[in-house]
Amino acid sequence: MSYREKIAWLSLIAMAVAYGPYFGFVGRGPGSWEPLPHLHPLGLFAMVSIVRMLILGVGYLYLRLGSPREERQPLDERDRAIEHRSITAAYYVLMAGMILVGCFMPFSSAGWTIVNATIFWIVASEVVHYSVVVASYRVQASS
Amino acid sequence: MMQGSISNRIRTLRFMNGEMSQAELGQRIGLTRQTIAAIEAGKYSPSLEAAFRIAQVFNVALGEVFQWDVKTNPLKAS
Repeated sequence: MSYREKIAWLSLIAMAVAYGPYFGFVGRGPGSWEPLPHLHPLGLFAMVSIVRMLILGVGYLYLRLGSPREERQPLDERDRAIEHRSITAAYYVLMAGMILVGCFMPFSSAGWTIVNATIFWIVASEVVHYSVVVASYRVQASS
Repeated sequence: MMQGSISNRIRTLRFMNGEMSQAELGQRIGLTRQTIAAIEAGKYSPSLEAAFRIAQVFNVALGEVFQWDVKTNPLKAS
Protein backbone atom coordinates (compact mmCIF):
# COMPACT_ATOMS: atom_id res chain seq x y z
CA MET A 1 0.00 0.00 0.00
CA SER A 2 1.45 3.38 -0.99
CA TYR A 3 2.04 6.20 1.47
CA ARG A 4 -0.68 8.33 -0.13
CA GLU A 5 -3.19 5.51 0.08
CA LYS A 6 -2.38 5.12 3.76
CA ILE A 7 -2.97 8.87 4.26
CA ALA A 8 -6.32 8.57 2.47
CA TRP A 9 -7.30 5.64 4.71
CA LEU A 10 -6.26 7.63 7.76
CA SER A 11 -8.42 10.57 6.66
CA LEU A 12 -11.40 8.26 6.11
CA ILE A 13 -10.96 6.63 9.52
CA ALA A 14 -10.59 10.02 11.23
CA MET A 15 -13.81 11.23 9.63
CA ALA A 16 -15.69 8.05 10.50
CA VAL A 17 -14.55 8.14 14.13
CA ALA A 18 -15.20 11.87 14.58
CA TYR A 19 -18.23 12.63 12.46
CA GLY A 20 -19.98 9.25 12.67
CA PRO A 21 -21.01 9.67 16.32
CA TYR A 22 -21.60 13.41 15.74
CA PHE A 23 -24.17 12.86 12.99
CA GLY A 24 -25.58 9.93 14.92
CA PHE A 25 -26.21 12.29 17.82
CA VAL A 26 -27.50 15.34 15.94
CA GLY A 27 -29.53 13.15 13.60
CA ARG A 28 -31.81 12.14 16.46
CA GLY A 29 -33.36 15.59 16.47
CA PRO A 30 -32.83 19.12 17.72
CA GLY A 31 -32.87 18.03 21.39
CA SER A 32 -33.03 20.53 24.18
CA TRP A 33 -30.31 22.87 23.02
CA GLU A 34 -30.59 26.42 24.26
CA PRO A 35 -31.73 28.88 21.58
CA LEU A 36 -28.87 31.38 21.85
CA PRO A 37 -25.89 31.63 21.62
CA HIS A 38 -25.85 27.96 20.61
CA LEU A 39 -22.88 27.05 22.76
CA HIS A 40 -23.91 23.42 23.19
CA PRO A 41 -23.90 22.42 19.49
CA LEU A 42 -20.90 24.64 18.85
CA GLY A 43 -19.01 22.96 21.68
CA LEU A 44 -19.96 19.54 20.38
CA PHE A 45 -18.73 20.40 16.89
CA ALA A 46 -15.50 21.86 18.29
CA MET A 47 -14.93 18.67 20.28
CA VAL A 48 -15.50 16.52 17.19
CA SER A 49 -13.12 18.67 15.15
CA ILE A 50 -10.43 18.39 17.85
CA VAL A 51 -10.86 14.59 17.94
CA ARG A 52 -10.46 14.47 14.17
CA MET A 53 -7.34 16.66 14.26
CA LEU A 54 -5.84 14.52 17.03
CA ILE A 55 -6.42 11.30 15.06
CA LEU A 56 -4.95 12.90 11.94
CA GLY A 57 -1.96 14.34 13.83
CA VAL A 58 -1.06 11.09 15.58
CA GLY A 59 -1.75 9.10 12.41
CA TYR A 60 0.43 11.34 10.23
CA LEU A 61 3.24 11.10 12.75
CA TYR A 62 2.94 7.32 12.93
CA LEU A 63 2.88 6.93 9.15
CA ARG A 64 5.72 9.37 8.64
CA LEU A 65 7.97 7.63 11.13
CA GLY A 66 6.96 4.18 9.92
CA SER A 67 7.40 4.82 6.19
CA PRO A 68 10.78 4.86 4.47
CA ARG A 69 11.77 8.18 2.91
CA GLU A 70 11.51 6.86 -0.67
CA GLU A 71 7.82 6.22 -0.11
CA ARG A 72 7.22 9.84 0.79
CA GLN A 73 8.13 11.26 -2.60
CA PRO A 74 6.43 14.34 -4.06
CA LEU A 75 3.30 13.80 -6.15
CA ASP A 76 3.98 12.36 -9.56
CA GLU A 77 1.69 12.45 -12.61
CA ARG A 78 -0.36 9.41 -11.51
CA ASP A 79 -0.86 10.86 -8.02
CA ARG A 80 -1.93 14.16 -9.56
CA ALA A 81 -4.36 12.38 -11.92
CA ILE A 82 -5.89 10.49 -8.99
CA GLU A 83 -6.09 13.70 -6.97
CA HIS A 84 -7.76 15.49 -9.88
CA ARG A 85 -10.30 12.69 -10.35
CA SER A 86 -11.14 12.50 -6.65
CA ILE A 87 -11.51 16.27 -6.24
CA THR A 88 -13.79 16.41 -9.30
CA ALA A 89 -16.04 13.70 -7.83
CA ALA A 90 -16.07 15.44 -4.43
CA TYR A 91 -16.89 18.77 -6.08
CA TYR A 92 -20.08 17.38 -7.63
CA VAL A 93 -21.18 15.92 -4.29
CA LEU A 94 -20.49 19.23 -2.56
CA MET A 95 -22.36 21.19 -5.24
CA ALA A 96 -25.38 18.90 -5.03
CA GLY A 97 -25.38 19.17 -1.25
CA MET A 98 -25.04 22.94 -1.24
CA ILE A 99 -27.90 23.32 -3.74
CA LEU A 100 -30.05 21.10 -1.54
CA VAL A 101 -29.13 22.98 1.63
CA GLY A 102 -29.24 26.47 0.15
CA CYS A 103 -32.22 26.23 -2.15
CA PHE A 104 -34.57 23.67 -0.60
CA MET A 105 -33.89 23.37 3.13
CA PRO A 106 -34.82 27.00 3.98
CA PHE A 107 -38.43 26.07 3.10
CA SER A 108 -38.59 23.26 5.63
CA SER A 109 -35.80 23.67 8.21
CA ALA A 110 -33.92 26.28 10.16
CA GLY A 111 -31.02 26.94 12.51
CA TRP A 112 -28.71 24.10 13.39
CA THR A 113 -30.54 21.66 11.16
CA ILE A 114 -29.30 23.65 8.18
CA VAL A 115 -25.86 24.10 9.73
CA ASN A 116 -25.56 20.36 10.35
CA ALA A 117 -26.81 19.59 6.87
CA THR A 118 -24.08 21.87 5.49
CA ILE A 119 -21.46 20.12 7.63
CA PHE A 120 -22.83 16.76 6.51
CA TRP A 121 -22.40 17.58 2.82
CA ILE A 122 -18.89 18.94 3.39
CA VAL A 123 -17.99 15.71 5.20
CA ALA A 124 -19.73 13.65 2.51
CA SER A 125 -17.69 15.34 -0.21
CA GLU A 126 -14.50 14.68 1.77
CA VAL A 127 -15.50 11.02 2.17
CA VAL A 128 -16.04 10.80 -1.60
CA HIS A 129 -12.69 12.50 -2.19
CA TYR A 130 -10.70 10.05 -0.08
CA SER A 131 -12.77 7.05 -1.17
CA VAL A 132 -11.99 7.77 -4.82
CA VAL A 133 -8.29 8.14 -3.90
CA VAL A 134 -8.31 4.76 -2.10
CA ALA A 135 -10.29 3.06 -4.88
CA SER A 136 -7.98 4.46 -7.58
CA TYR A 137 -4.84 3.26 -5.84
CA ARG A 138 -6.46 -0.13 -5.21
CA VAL A 139 -7.47 -0.55 -8.84
CA GLN A 140 -4.02 0.45 -10.08
CA ALA A 141 -2.12 -1.61 -7.51
CA SER A 142 0.01 -4.12 -9.36
CA SER A 143 -0.33 -6.89 -6.80
CA MET B 1 -13.64 4.07 -32.59
CA MET B 2 -10.64 1.78 -32.85
CA GLN B 3 -10.38 -0.53 -29.88
CA GLY B 4 -7.06 -1.58 -28.42
CA SER B 5 -4.81 -1.67 -25.45
CA ILE B 6 -1.31 -0.56 -24.60
CA SER B 7 1.27 -3.15 -23.68
CA ASN B 8 4.86 -2.53 -22.69
CA ARG B 9 8.25 -4.18 -22.37
CA ILE B 10 9.48 -2.29 -19.35
CA ARG B 11 10.05 -5.42 -17.28
CA THR B 12 12.20 -6.93 -20.05
CA LEU B 13 14.07 -3.69 -20.62
CA ARG B 14 14.78 -3.36 -16.91
CA PHE B 15 16.15 -6.89 -16.91
CA MET B 16 18.32 -6.13 -19.94
CA ASN B 17 19.68 -3.04 -18.20
CA GLY B 18 21.30 -4.77 -15.29
CA GLU B 19 18.07 -5.71 -13.50
CA MET B 20 17.30 -2.06 -12.89
CA SER B 21 14.82 -1.72 -10.03
CA GLN B 22 11.43 -0.05 -10.40
CA ALA B 23 12.50 2.48 -7.78
CA GLU B 24 15.65 3.39 -9.72
CA LEU B 25 13.75 3.77 -12.99
CA GLY B 26 11.14 5.88 -11.22
CA GLN B 27 13.79 8.05 -9.63
CA ARG B 28 15.44 8.70 -12.98
CA ILE B 29 12.24 9.91 -14.63
CA GLY B 30 10.50 11.53 -11.68
CA LEU B 31 7.86 8.89 -10.97
CA THR B 32 7.25 6.82 -7.86
CA ARG B 33 8.01 3.09 -7.67
CA GLN B 34 4.27 2.40 -7.40
CA THR B 35 3.60 4.30 -10.63
CA ILE B 36 6.28 2.31 -12.46
CA ALA B 37 4.70 -0.89 -11.10
CA ALA B 38 1.26 0.26 -12.29
CA ILE B 39 2.63 1.12 -15.77
CA GLU B 40 4.40 -2.24 -16.01
CA ALA B 41 1.21 -4.05 -15.05
CA GLY B 42 -0.73 -2.12 -17.68
CA LYS B 43 -2.95 -0.52 -15.07
CA TYR B 44 -1.85 3.03 -15.72
CA SER B 45 -1.02 4.67 -19.04
CA PRO B 46 1.76 7.21 -18.59
CA SER B 47 1.79 10.64 -20.18
CA LEU B 48 3.56 10.95 -23.51
CA GLU B 49 6.37 12.82 -21.79
CA ALA B 50 6.87 10.08 -19.18
CA ALA B 51 6.78 7.46 -21.95
CA PHE B 52 9.53 9.29 -23.84
CA ARG B 53 11.57 9.58 -20.65
CA ILE B 54 11.29 5.83 -20.04
CA ALA B 55 12.44 5.14 -23.60
CA GLN B 56 15.33 7.57 -23.12
CA VAL B 57 16.49 5.78 -19.96
CA PHE B 58 16.70 2.50 -21.88
CA ASN B 59 18.12 4.28 -24.94
CA VAL B 60 15.52 2.79 -27.27
CA ALA B 61 12.73 4.14 -29.45
CA LEU B 62 9.32 4.72 -27.89
CA GLY B 63 7.83 1.92 -29.98
CA GLU B 64 10.22 -0.56 -28.43
CA VAL B 65 8.84 0.21 -24.99
CA PHE B 66 5.14 0.64 -25.67
CA GLN B 67 2.99 -1.14 -28.21
CA TRP B 68 -0.57 -0.50 -29.29
CA ASP B 69 -2.39 -3.83 -29.65
CA VAL B 70 -5.41 -3.42 -31.88
CA LYS B 71 -8.45 -5.43 -30.89
CA THR B 72 -10.36 -6.60 -33.91
CA ASN B 73 -14.13 -6.49 -33.70
CA PRO B 74 -15.38 -10.06 -34.40
CA LEU B 75 -18.66 -8.71 -35.81
CA LYS B 76 -16.88 -6.51 -38.35
CA ALA B 77 -14.31 -9.18 -39.19
CA SER B 78 -16.90 -11.75 -40.16
